[in-house]
Amino acid sequence: MNALEKLFIRIVQRVNINLRELEFDARPYVWDLIPKNQMTKFYAFYGITPDHPLNLQFRHSGLAGSYFLGQCRVSNSLLYKCDVRGDELKKKGDKFQFKNFNIPVSKDEEIVIEDSAFVKTLIHNYSHDPETLEKFFIKDTISTHYANIHGAPSSGCFLGPFSTVDLTTMRDCIIGTFSYVQAGEISHLNIDPGTVWVRSPDSFNFLYHYPLKKLKDYIYFEAESLPQGIFIDFMESRKEDFQRVFDVVNIEPYTNVPTTASLDRYAVIKPKTDIGENVLISQRAYLENSYLGKGANAQENCFIINSRLEGYNVTAHGAKIIEADLGQNVFVGFNSFLRGQPESRLTIDKESIIMPHTIVDIAEPLTIPPGQLVWGLITNRDDLETNSISISELSKINTRYSKGNMFFEGSGASFVSAFQGRIHHILEANGAFFNSLDNSGPGHAQKNQNMSFNTIQPYPRGDQEGLFPTILIQP
Amino acid sequence: MILRFVNDIGIFLNVLTLKICDRTALYKYLSATCNRSFIVEKYLIKDLMVPISEYATVSEGATLFEAYLALEKAQEEYDHNKYRHRAILILDKNNRVIGKVGQLDVLRALEPKNEQFEMFEDISKFKFSSHFIMSLREQYLMQDEPLIDICKKTAQIKVEDLMRTPTKGEYVEEDTSLNIAIHQLVRGSHMALLVVRKNEIVGILRLTDVFAAIFHTMKECGLDIDSDIDKNIDKET
Repeated sequence: MNALEKLFIRIVQRVNINLRELEFDARPYVWDLIPKNQMTKFYAFYGITPDHPLNLQFRHSGLAGSYFLGQCRVSNSLLYKCDVRGDELKKKGDKFQFKNFNIPVSKDEEIVIEDSAFVKTLIHNYSHDPETLEKFFIKDTISTHYANIHGAPSSGCFLGPFSTVDLTTMRDCIIGTFSYVQAGEISHLNIDPGTVWVRSPDSFNFLYHYPLKKLKDYIYFEAESLPQGIFIDFMESRKEDFQRVFDVVNIEPYTNVPTTASLDRYAVIKPKTDIGENVLISQRAYLENSYLGKGANAQENCFIINSRLEGYNVTAHGAKIIEADLGQNVFVGFNSFLRGQPESRLTIDKESIIMPHTIVDIAEPLTIPPGQLVWGLITNRDDLETNSISISELSKINTRYSKGNMFFEGSGASFVSAFQGRIHHILEANGAFFNSLDNSGPGHAQKNQNMSFNTIQPYPRGDQEGLFPTILIQP
Repeated sequence: MILRFVNDIGIFLNVLTLKICDRTALYKYLSATCNRSFIVEKYLIKDLMVPISEYATVSEGATLFEAYLALEKAQEEYDHNKYRHRAILILDKNNRVIGKVGQLDVLRALEPKNEQFEMFEDISKFKFSSHFIMSLREQYLMQDEPLIDICKKTAQIKVEDLMRTPTKGEYVEEDTSLNIAIHQLVRGSHMALLVVRKNEIVGILRLTDVFAAIFHTMKECGLDIDSDIDKNIDKET
């Protein structure tokens, strides 16, 4: 047994110790997930720009195929094809508002990953926990394919495939396959697969449970087998397109990108794609035969195929949009899967909010009216009727409401306001409102231009095979 | 004086629950207020229990309806008090008790069992208010099928699908002192205990019988209790 395998065993043990109360054994789920024999096959890489801090430290870790930006420390961990973006962290002197507390940040925040294993996971944003403002920690945690740890400090947790924990501190929790949690703080919870939970204590509480039998067609994960279903098939079918952008050192730049837009060098752009002003296309995004209007963005692991986005559209991490037409200001949440057909297109009218982890998969044409909130599994008009509400109607709810498998309690107006505020913030942070005349409002779309990438390599053989030497990267 | 208020079983159990937690206080209380007898000496488990031969039993594989008929028969044959028997014991092929179906188990069987209704239970862990969860249940039950139809279906359920396997705390040895049995009843909120002799269940010690015994003892020495308590009140004031 080499050092990498010993490390993996150690990580699994630490996670199991944390999850003993939930009687969870991570080993049969993850032992074959990280291809230990491929940990030498892929280089890791990091980005440098004059606009981002640079402080990367790697110790006793495997980092195959992973990408790092900003401030990040990784020790005793295995990261396989992950994205760790420390470019939205708080800076010394910033003020963090939490309820009535205006808390000064005492030093530059950093992402600290210890004793954890991740597969194709995206980690970014910043700690929203007022108790740990300078340290976005992730320890004793395992996450699986296409999970998102977004501004969510974690200790002793397991995340299933395509799950997302968003702006939530989690301790000793299991996040089920394709579940989305945004709840401030959670501990010792076993969240079932297909749960969408958005809670702001004392303000609102939204919950949706997927019908599990139907969800299994899309994503299914059980012990001693790899994740399977339509989502995995979809990702696998486009794997080769990414191979080229990762294999080639000097890739030929895609032309026709406006000067105010940013196209990451590790994104795949296929013909007849039209990119507007202030557009952000992050790495591992995939665009094919599509139009992205002014201020639209395609975040990491997004796929936009044969589709048209009219502008100021947020396509959050992991979302897929296929054969669809989206009006202006349509928000598509994390890991959503929107699939029309060439002869049965999906139309989403302006200012609608597609909740995180929504599946719209249609065989007949479907139009979502303007200003709707949409959630859950939708395959036809009846499903849409059950799994949507107009935003104006939702704003009037002040007690409780349930529809199908969705439950809501609290202030609808606060819920809508929180979502709309966040969408505006995302667009702003991504540079969607950048004005080139006075250079105001620059965001990721402008700052990420002309980024340089360096690669780092693991030990090719021997006891340390697949692990990286201790590396410190600083200005 | 206090006995005037003790005729309500709920109040009595509250008194008992408080006192049983502090055994010394209970002994002191009963000793101080009743010199003529002490319940532990006066009543034995074997005197209070219902012998298993007089209890309602059915074999595994029986339906709930057959279990009810056994209950009815046991009441007619062995007991003139209409509501004494409240549970049915389930026996395996070797006539050993493997489970118990109580009144609450039967009512629980009438509850809807589907994904939607179970989801209402599940959402409580997601911090929804109990008021909301109750309103969801009520809304669902209003639209549920008529109770008579649910009863018909439930009557055909096999007893082993409803029965509860008794926990460790539901067994008591025949020669155990009554105060230990009381402790088990109170701590486990049990309606009855299974009385064991040499690894064999020989009877059922029911809460109602224990209650009657305690109540009777207190009533017997009621005058003393009244006067002692009055004395204590005088001292304290």
